[in-house]
Amino acid sequence: MTLGDAAEPLVHIQNFRMDFGDTTVIKDLSFDVRAGETFGFLGSNGSGKTTTLRALLGIYQPTAGTLHIGGKVFEPRDGARLGYLPEERGLYKKEAVLDVMVYFGRLKGLSKTAAKTWSQEYLERVGLVDKAAVRLDKLSGGQQQKVQLGVTIMNDPELLILDEPTKGFDPVNRRLLMDIIEEQKLAGATVIMVTHQMEEVERLCDRVILLKDGTARAYGTVSEVQEQFGGTLYRVTFEGILPASALYDVVTNAGGRAELAPRLGATETGVLRELVEAGVAVRSFTTARVSLEEIFIQVYGEQQMAEVQ
Amino acid sequence: MAFSQHNLGTVVGFEFTRTIKKKGFAIATLSIPVLLVLLFVLIYASNSSTEASADAQKNASLSFTYTDASGIIPAGMAQAAGGKTATDPDAAIAAVKDGSSEAYFDYPADPSTEPVKVYGADKGMFENGKYEAVAEQLLNAAAQSQVANPRLTAALSGGVDFDSETYRDGKPSGGIESVIPPLLFLVLFYVAMILLSNQMLNSTLEEKENRVTEMILTTLNPTTLITGKIISLFSVGLVQMLVFLAPIAAGYLFFRDSLALPEMDLSSLIIEPGPMITGALLLLGGFTLFTGVLVAIGAIMPTAKEAGTIFGPLMAAMFIPFYTFSLIISDPDSVIVQVFTYFPLTAPVTAMLRNGFGTLSGMEATIVIAELFIVGLLILRLAVHLFRYGSIEYGKKLSIAGTFRRKELAAK
Repeated sequence: MTLGDAAEPLVHIQNFRMDFGDTTVIKDLSFDVRAGETFGFLGSNGSGKTTTLRALLGIYQPTAGTLHIGGKVFEPRDGARLGYLPEERGLYKKEAVLDVMVYFGRLKGLSKTAAKTWSQEYLERVGLVDKAAVRLDKLSGGQQQKVQLGVTIMNDPELLILDEPTKGFDPVNRRLLMDIIEEQKLAGATVIMVTHQMEEVERLCDRVILLKDGTARAYGTVSEVQEQFGGTLYRVTFEGILPASALYDVVTNAGGRAELAPRLGATETGVLRELVEAGVAVRSFTTARVSLEEIFIQVYGEQQMAEVQ
Repeated sequence: MAFSQHNLGTVVGFEFTRTIKKKGFAIATLSIPVLLVLLFVLIYASNSSTEASADAQKNASLSFTYTDASGIIPAGMAQAAGGKTATDPDAAIAAVKDGSSEAYFDYPADPSTEPVKVYGADKGMFENGKYEAVAEQLLNAAAQSQVANPRLTAALSGGVDFDSETYRDGKPSGGIESVIPPLLFLVLFYVAMILLSNQMLNSTLEEKENRVTEMILTTLNPTTLITGKIISLFSVGLVQMLVFLAPIAAGYLFFRDSLALPEMDLSSLIIEPGPMITGALLLLGGFTLFTGVLVAIGAIMPTAKEAGTIFGPLMAAMFIPFYTFSLIISDPDSVIVQVFTYFPLTAPVTAMLRNGFGTLSGMEATIVIAELFIVGLLILRLAVHLFRYGSIEYGKKLSIAGTFRRKELAAK
């Protein structure tokens, strides 16, 4: 069963507001996720990312606004091919791994045989095939997360919503997980991913939204967001003293390395000429985009960046 | 809709299989028939021993001496029973004390006002009773022999059959034979609740405690989940009942005589359609109501431990009507019985009792049945709502009002 018309945004959120008692978690949020794209949902802890996903999936009732998947409010009885990996992980812990996977496979519309075959192949791939008959609570946290991801991507989901998918994974398994997500993307799935790992966003995401204090601080393609936050940086290796200039702002400057943010109208040639004319011995001069991590720090501050990581 | 039915079957299958596969379930379920089998073995052994003892007692004759100031006891009859006349009561008592005589009975001049004194050698608490039994039997037999009229003798000895017939609304009404069949629904209700109530309470708690709610709620409609859980619980209860009844049925079919089980004449039971249909509907309505309440409690409470604090009083509500049992039978219009008849948590048991004893009118039955189904289904709907919007509050006790406070947006 398909989730919606390919010409329309698969996910449409308009003027979403969410109150918990006297606390407003989301003030006024609007964004779309297009079919087939990978969408990064970024924000500091408590910025309302999980709340938005829960409201989108009908787990929370929104205070106001429109939250649609495929043009309508999501109802699980539609039998939609949707995979959701929640932030709060959990499965039936006292049941065997394979039994739980087959159960969810059946609920997602697979036959018993198909669910069993798929589960065994997945367990083999993630190195858990020998744990198929083992109770889930006998597995490590990381192993349980692998099983949960398997349950999430069963039956080729059209929309995959992943809330901090790599949380708790070691680097090796994180890479495995990212490969699996990338495969889903290549197979045509629309992916919404909440993450604090900026390299994951830069590797996978087509567009992103940055959430702060219940509103969107930035929204668009990764390039567009980079552009909104200064866009270009000049990275300079030099000897001498950097002069103050109307052409740029000094972002960082230490040990003969500096990052310069060009002001409006400044060009590479103009900046380079000014440095040389000021007697700076320029050893290298490269142009780079502002990284998402730098943007994250700008928006949320150093402390929050440290907290989420 | 086909997808929903597929999912309902999947939930029922999963919940049923994992319940009966649990070690705890197997132990709890099999322990009852094992205990019953042990009990039957003990009864069998005890019956064999009792029979041997009875045979020994039958063959052993009691020898006693007696004095009869009333003149009721014929000498020949006493002699046939093993008695000899004593001339000196003190000597006869002394003989019992020194063990040279088994017993001495002293019949007074007027047994209607004075006691018969019985002296005997101690043969243990149970066997000592035979002295009094023999003395009484001898006196009864002697008195009956002097009436010399078989009809009077039968009337005096209680050997007369009575055949009663009572009428309700001009039609013959049954006695205890008509009370038993509808009361079987009450028994079934208690058995179902005792076996299943704890599992009903825990059915949704497990999703919360395992934090699997979000995965489930985005995969499956909560109504389908809860309906599936209830059906699987009911199936589990049926399996348990069959396992419990198996040794009893086997005992009746194959070992009735050796286990001295009472013979049941089921043909004497009077099965009236009205009370039976009412009883069945009260059972279903009561089951629906209590299921809804238990599932709702499970949705509100964060852990099984905290749910247990509400579980106790709820179960007590099922037994409270028995405190007014005599009023239920003798004065069903009393205020307390009326309150219990209509208060949802006491209504099933009170109404089933009244239905069995024939004091529940058709109008009352209709109102109570409708009430149980309506309230039960409303509470089940509330339970689904609480599960859907409340079970995500992991580790927190749910505010019911909080789940309704937020405005649900209509699909545009």
